[in-house]
Amino acid sequence: MKKVLFAIAFAFFALTGYQAFAQEPELSPERKQAIDSLALEKVRDLSKYIKLIGSKNTPWSEANRVIDRAEELFAPDAEIGVSSLSKKKIEYYKVRQYLERLMRLNYDRVEIDWYKIQYVSDLQRQPDGTYVGVITIFQTFKGYDAEGRLVYQDTTKKDITVYVKRKETQIGGRLIGFWDVMLGDMRVKETTMK
Amino acid sequence: MRVINTNDKNYSNMLKQFKSIIIVAMIALVTLCGATSCNSSKKLSKKEYKALVEQAKKDLTAILNEETEWTLEEQLERINEIKKTDFTKKNPEIVEMIERAELKVTNAIAERDRVAELKRIEEEKRLRELEEQSKPQTGLAEYFNLIANAKDVNTANKYIAEALQLFESPDAVVLVRLNNYGDYDRPTTAVNYLNYLKDQKKVTVNVDNVKFNAENKITELELIKK
Repeated sequence: MKKVLFAIAFAFFALTGYQAFAQEPELSPERKQAIDSLALEKVRDLSKYIKLIGSKNTPWSEANRVIDRAEELFAPDAEIGVSSLSKKKIEYYKVRQYLERLMRLNYDRVEIDWYKIQYVSDLQRQPDGTYVGVITIFQTFKGYDAEGRLVYQDTTKKDITVYVKRKETQIGGRLIGFWDVMLGDMRVKETTMK
Repeated sequence: MRVINTNDKNYSNMLKQFKSIIIVAMIALVTLCGATSCNSSKKLSKKEYKALVEQAKKDLTAILNEETEWTLEEQLERINEIKKTDFTKKNPEIVEMIERAELKVTNAIAERDRVAELKRIEEEKRLRELEEQSKPQTGLAEYFNLIANAKDVNTANKYIAEALQLFESPDAVVLVRLNNYGDYDRPTTAVNYLNYLKDQKKVTVNVDNVKFNAENKITELELIKK
């Protein structure tokens, strides 16, 4: 009898909990558009950071500061894939490790550009309320030697998973609701010579 | 007849002399009355002096006890009027009252002027603060553009250092509002946001709301996406 009552109670709470979640209002198209744009903007911000960190013209202290800012865009334990035309295997590095390697690349001049930054999978609401989507980017990499000769060049297509979660914080006695955008793994999809 | 004639002559002379006496007497009387009348306008009668003392005491007491509705300037004028009469011999207490009243009124005028000057300075300060409060918003927007469009890192850093002077601290809160539905980006700090402008080389926000502390430094900055 106790087991039956427990099962009924469990079913009741599970159902009401589900209903409570199901009744949570969906975002209006305007608000959804705002967080779509916000997530895309974070990836564009990252592209500027990558360019600055890779550039040999960026002072060392500035590059380190930018590494900190770039790292803050990612979720903890996120990884970034690195490919090369000379290797088949794609290496994955923790974000900080990747960024520090990028700063120390063995070229005299480096040019990194991202383009075609767009959603391949729109932000979708998950059961826990987090919005998850995938943004793809194309990256051109050019490495030059001391004589200014282009010694390495490739174009890589990468997919970045983005997580957008609603959070709240108290600021000056006010409750501020904000969207926390976190970038997840950055996976290499293909690398070509160009 | 001759006797009669002689008598008539004497009588006539006497009459002339009498007329002269009358005229001289009248002149003397007029002169005397005139002089007396002048004297009475300068010297007070006892009754008049008494009334003057009474009024002076009444007015001075009212001034000393702050029971008058006269302005301070009117009170001072009245004291000066009272001072025109010499009370030193008969009523030295009035002289003492005059001194006290004069001191009281001049002090009150000085205090009133001091308070008015303080108020004026306070008002000037308030207006200056109001003016300066409206300045930083413009200043900030200008700094945002200067930082984002700086020709190199050193120039951008110089502008960042200047812009940070507008803030209470480099860690002052910066909020970026996405829309009017209560959606914000992750809160950041003044120093991080200014560096963000330097790194991204673009300004995509407008200044929406600024909170200041007593020193007119920004404690919280709210921006809104363009």
